[in-house]
Amino acid sequence: MAVACNSQSVKLEKNYGCGKTKIMNEAVKTNLVPMVAQEFAPQLRVRELEGQLEVGVKGDWTVHTIHLIENDLNGLLEVIKTKNIAPENVSIHINHLNDLDSAGAYMLCEIIKAGREDLVVNEETVFGEHPFARDFLKQMERFVEGGIEIPKPVDAVAKFKQHVVDGIDDFFRESVETLSFVGQTVSSLVLAFTNPKRVRWLPTISVAESAGLDAIPIVMMLTFFIGAVVAFMGAQTLEAFGGTVFTVDLVGISVLREFAVIITAIILAGRSDSAFTAQIGSMKMTQEIDAMSIIGLDPMEMLVIPRVLALLIMTPIMVFFAMIAGLVGGAFVSVLTLDISFTLYLNRLQEYVGDKHFWVGMSKAPVFAFIIAIIGCRQGLEVENDVISLGKHTTAAVVQAIFMVILVDAIFALIYNELEI
Amino acid sequence: MNYVDAVTPILDCPADQVAIRLRNITNKFGDFIIHKDLDLDVLRGETIGFVGGSGAGKSVLLRTIIGLNRPFAGKVDVLGIDVWGENEAEQEKLASKWGVMFQDGALFSSLTVLENVMVPLKEHTNLSPKLMGEIAALKVLMAGLPKEAGDKLPSELSGGMRKRAALARALALDPDILFLDEPTAGLDPITAGRFDDLINDLKQALGLTVFIITHDLDTLRDACDRVAALANQRVSAIGPLDYVREQATGWLEEYFSGPRGRAALG
Repeated sequence: MAVACNSQSVKLEKNYGCGKTKIMNEAVKTNLVPMVAQEFAPQLRVRELEGQLEVGVKGDWTVHTIHLIENDLNGLLEVIKTKNIAPENVSIHINHLNDLDSAGAYMLCEIIKAGREDLVVNEETVFGEHPFARDFLKQMERFVEGGIEIPKPVDAVAKFKQHVVDGIDDFFRESVETLSFVGQTVSSLVLAFTNPKRVRWLPTISVAESAGLDAIPIVMMLTFFIGAVVAFMGAQTLEAFGGTVFTVDLVGISVLREFAVIITAIILAGRSDSAFTAQIGSMKMTQEIDAMSIIGLDPMEMLVIPRVLALLIMTPIMVFFAMIAGLVGGAFVSVLTLDISFTLYLNRLQEYVGDKHFWVGMSKAPVFAFIIAIIGCRQGLEVENDVISLGKHTTAAVVQAIFMVILVDAIFALIYNELEI
Repeated sequence: MNYVDAVTPILDCPADQVAIRLRNITNKFGDFIIHKDLDLDVLRGETIGFVGGSGAGKSVLLRTIIGLNRPFAGKVDVLGIDVWGENEAEQEKLASKWGVMFQDGALFSSLTVLENVMVPLKEHTNLSPKLMGEIAALKVLMAGLPKEAGDKLPSELSGGMRKRAALARALALDPDILFLDEPTAGLDPITAGRFDDLINDLKQALGLTVFIITHDLDTLRDACDRVAALANQRVSAIGPLDYVREQATGWLEEYFSGPRGRAALG
C-alpha cells in the first residue's frame, strides 16, 4: 500500500519548477499514503548479546499508541542505567516498525540516546529497513538533542506566600490609584462645568439611557418586593404590641432612607459598572484609547466624564422611582393583609415619616453615582492587552463598587446619627 | 499526467491521493454570494497557497473546509471524510488529523504556551502527564521557539512567537493536514522568511499537506508547490506559481505585476 503516491511523484522534474516537491525525499512521500485503518500496538523486544543491547521495535509508534509502551520504555532505560551499558552499545532495529510520527520518534530517540546528552542516528545505532523511519529520526535529531525540559511545578507554599504579599500590595496600590483617579475626574468635571460646550452630550445621553432609564423597571421591581417584605416582617413583630399601624413608619423610613438608594446602587454596580469596564477595557485592548490620545481627544473627556455625568443625572431619578415602588409595595401588603386603608397609609406617611427621610435617601444618590461611575471607568482603563485581565477588572469593578457603596452608606449613617437627622 | 503540476481545480485521480476535495461549494450571506459552485482538489503532501483580494472569501472557504461555516450547498471531503455529512463519529476523527493555525494565533490566553500545546494531547491521547509535557516541549522546539517560551503566557509573547506557538499547538497531534491562515501577516521580512523555512522543514520532516492562505508573495515563491487564486466566486486559476503568473488576468495580474510582485518574484 506504500506505493499509491510514488509512481507519479518520482518524475517531478517537469516544467513550472517552483515546487519544493522536487526535493521531497522518498521518505516523506511514503508517509503521505493513507494510514492503515487498523492500528498495531507498539512493542519492544530486547536482546542482550556480548554486552550489546539490541532493541527491536514493532507496530505503530504514534502519539495515539505510545502510552501503551511508556512503562516498558522506562523499564528499559532503567535497565540500561543499572547495568551500566554504554550508550554506544545500544541499538534499535526498525525492520518491523509500522507507522511512526514525531512523538514515536521522540521515544525511539530516547532509546538511542540511552542516557547521554547527544543523539547519534547512524548505521551503528539504527539497524534495519523502513520506508521512512531512518530519515525521520535523522530529521528529529536536532530537536531532541540536549534533552527536552519540562518546567517544574511551582512550590505551593511559596505560591501562597506570594499570593498574600501580592494581595496586600494590590490593596494599597488600588486605594492610592483610585484616589488619584478621583482627583483627576473631579478636575475634569470642574473643567466640564465651567465650559459645558466641552461635554460630549451625545454619549452622555446614550449612557443615561442604557445605564439609567433601561434599569428603572428592574430597580422598581426589586424595591417593590423589598417594601412588601419589610411590611410583612414588621407587621408580624408589631402585632405583638398591638401596633400594626407602625408598619407604615417602618416601611416609609427604611425604604426612603436606605433600601431605595442601596438597591439602586447595587443594581447600577452590577449592571452598569461591568458594562463600563468591559466597554472601556475592550477599547483599550483594540488600542482605540491610544488612537484617541494621539488625535488629541482626552480619554477622560470622551469616556469618563459622559459616564460620570450620566450616572449623576440618572441615579437620583432612579432612586425616586425606587422609593415610589417600595412605598407601593408596603402599601400593597398593608392594605391587603393588615386592615390599614390606603388613605390611612398615605396620611401616616405624610404626618409621621415626612420628607426628612426622603432627603436623607436622596442625598446619598449622587455620591453613590459618582463612586460607581469612577470605579467602573478606572477598572476599564486598567485593562491590559489580554482577555484574562478584562475578566479580572470587570469582577474588580463590581466588587469594589458594591463594597464602597455599603461602606460609604455606613459612614452616612454615622454622620446623620451624630447630626440627629 | 503529473498531478503536482496540475492546472485544473478538479483532478481525475484516486481519492486516496486527495487530501481535500471540494465540489460545488456555494456560500452566501443573505443575498451576497461569496462562492458559487467552487471546486478544488488538494493533493496529499503538497503545499497549496491560496490568494485572493480582500473579501474574496478566502477565510470563509477555510472555515467551510474545517467545519466552522456550513456551506449553503456542496460537499467537502477532507481525507475522505465528509466534513458536513451525517457521520459524526468519522468527523470526530478529523480533529486529530488536522491542525489549524488561526490568523492571530487563537491561543488560549489563560494557559501557558506549553499548556496550550498540551490541550489537544489531553483531549485525544492517553499519554502520562510527564510524557505529554515532553511531547509538548518537543513541539515547541519544532515550531522554532526557545525552550523558555513554554512557560510564558500568550500575552507575554511577541507576534512572531505567538504564531510559532500557535503552530506548535497545530502540530501537537502530528496532523496529516496543516491549515495556516495568513502565517506571515504582520511579521517582519526576516521572521516571515524564517517562518517559510520552518514550514518547509516541518513539511519535509512530517510529510504534511499544507493549506496556506496568504498575501505574501515570498511565501508563495518559497513554500508553495501550487498556487490557487480565488476570484469571481470560484477558483479562477490554479497551478505552479509560474503558470498562474503567466495566465493571470484582472486582479491576479495586478497582484503579480505590481511593484511588490515584481520585487518578490523578479
